[in-house]
Amino acid sequence: MTSLVREDKGGKGSSELVLDLYSNLLEEIWEVVSALIGETILAFLFTLSIRTLGEKHPFLMSLKVSEDGISLDETREDCQNVGPVEIHRGFQSLINHLSHLFSALAEGVINKELFPKVFPKVKEAERIISQK
Amino acid sequence: MRLIFKNLNVLRSTLNAISTSIEIKEIVESAGVNLPNLFDFSSFGVFWKEDLHLFLYQEESCPPSFSQEVVKNMVKVFSILGEESIEVDRMVVQVEKRKLRPKQMMMDSKATLKSYLTLPLTVEGEILGCISLNSDQPNAFDAQDLQFLSVIGYQMAATLKHFQRFSSIQNIAIYDTLTGLYNRRYFEERLGIDAQKSFYSGTSLSLVMVDIDHFKKINDTFGHTEGDQILHKISSLLKTSVRKKDTVARYGGEEFIIILPEAGLEESFIIAERIRRLVENTSFEAGQAQINLTLSLGISNFPSHRAKSKEELVKMADQALYDAKRGGRNKVCIYAGRSTQ
Repeated sequence: MTSLVREDKGGKGSSELVLDLYSNLLEEIWEVVSALIGETILAFLFTLSIRTLGEKHPFLMSLKVSEDGISLDETREDCQNVGPVEIHRGFQSLINHLSHLFSALAEGVINKELFPKVFPKVKEAERIISQK
Repeated sequence: MRLIFKNLNVLRSTLNAISTSIEIKEIVESAGVNLPNLFDFSSFGVFWKEDLHLFLYQEESCPPSFSQEVVKNMVKVFSILGEESIEVDRMVVQVEKRKLRPKQMMMDSKATLKSYLTLPLTVEGEILGCISLNSDQPNAFDAQDLQFLSVIGYQMAATLKHFQRFSSIQNIAIYDTLTGLYNRRYFEERLGIDAQKSFYSGTSLSLVMVDIDHFKKINDTFGHTEGDQILHKISSLLKTSVRKKDTVARYGGEEFIIILPEAGLEESFIIAERIRRLVENTSFEAGQAQINLTLSLGISNFPSHRAKSKEELVKMADQALYDAKRGGRNKVCIYAGRSTQ
């Protein structure tokens, strides 16, 4: 969190900050959930969620998902003209959708492990947006 | 620590059993036998999308209402994952009941589904089905259960994918792509088995060779696409006219052959005549036109015709077919030696 604020002072736009924050968050989700259900199933769930939300938040379609993880490299390029609020909303929808899938699959088992890590970061993204 | 080692050993043998299974029922069975050593569950389900089969391996005292709840829940979760709705009525549910619990822990007849873990069976981004652990106890599963189930699901999905690939290779090897009937290669193989059985036991075996009369004219007049469609339609008529145990194959071009196990001459003649009449009375579409077609059919039989080999039995059916053609077509002839009509 501290490093993000420092980068902000160094001149990073808030879209980029939100992307950084969600990049870390997705990495963390990947780490926690892949340990529980494996990379193959998780990649499948990510792809499914992105496909479901892609129409509403087109920038999500540029996320690259494989069994090695999730990459935002293309998303960063695609998001140069996308505002921080839209990026935040898109990722928030993605996380909500994933969380809905996790509940459908394993009731509270996955979300119990995930929520303590995800929740503060989503709050942090909201804080950055509201400061703008 | 000892418990983890024990669980890992159980997991290892479960994975081994799954990977060496040769059919889905065996997968479920081998998983079901091992799973009670890993989890406390009331019901374990495997749903395979391809043939809409749902296998339930469950505690003996599991009431039917509980099984129904499990099926409904699995279908619901699969619909979310597969983005397609599955009609429960179309599914084939197979239930295997085993004593998984001591008598004092038997399930109540009104037990309901209180907790579950369901995971997709997925390979290379494709969803093949799902597996599910279910319990009548609340919060029955934890993170470690989920980890174990995901490893089992991973192996199961890989094995099912092998089945799928194998079955498509098998299909290519035994079916004729144009008509959907068995191909000649499969026919030879099947006849070898059926003939051996008949020659050994003395039971009856008949062959019916079928040829479409003047088929060349159809291709010449309407083109090969229309000709292919007619071949397909006649193949369907042949399939619906025989008994379950019979084998219908495309022998080549517009020729078909039917193996009729345990069918004497009289029964074979009735079947062949039924086919002849059915085709004669069917109107076929060829381009804009409606046309009528006829068949010639030749029958050979073991032991009536004293064939000494399967090859000889085929030759006899072919000879009878030749007789039917020479006799004016649109008829059924039984083998009667070289110069029969």
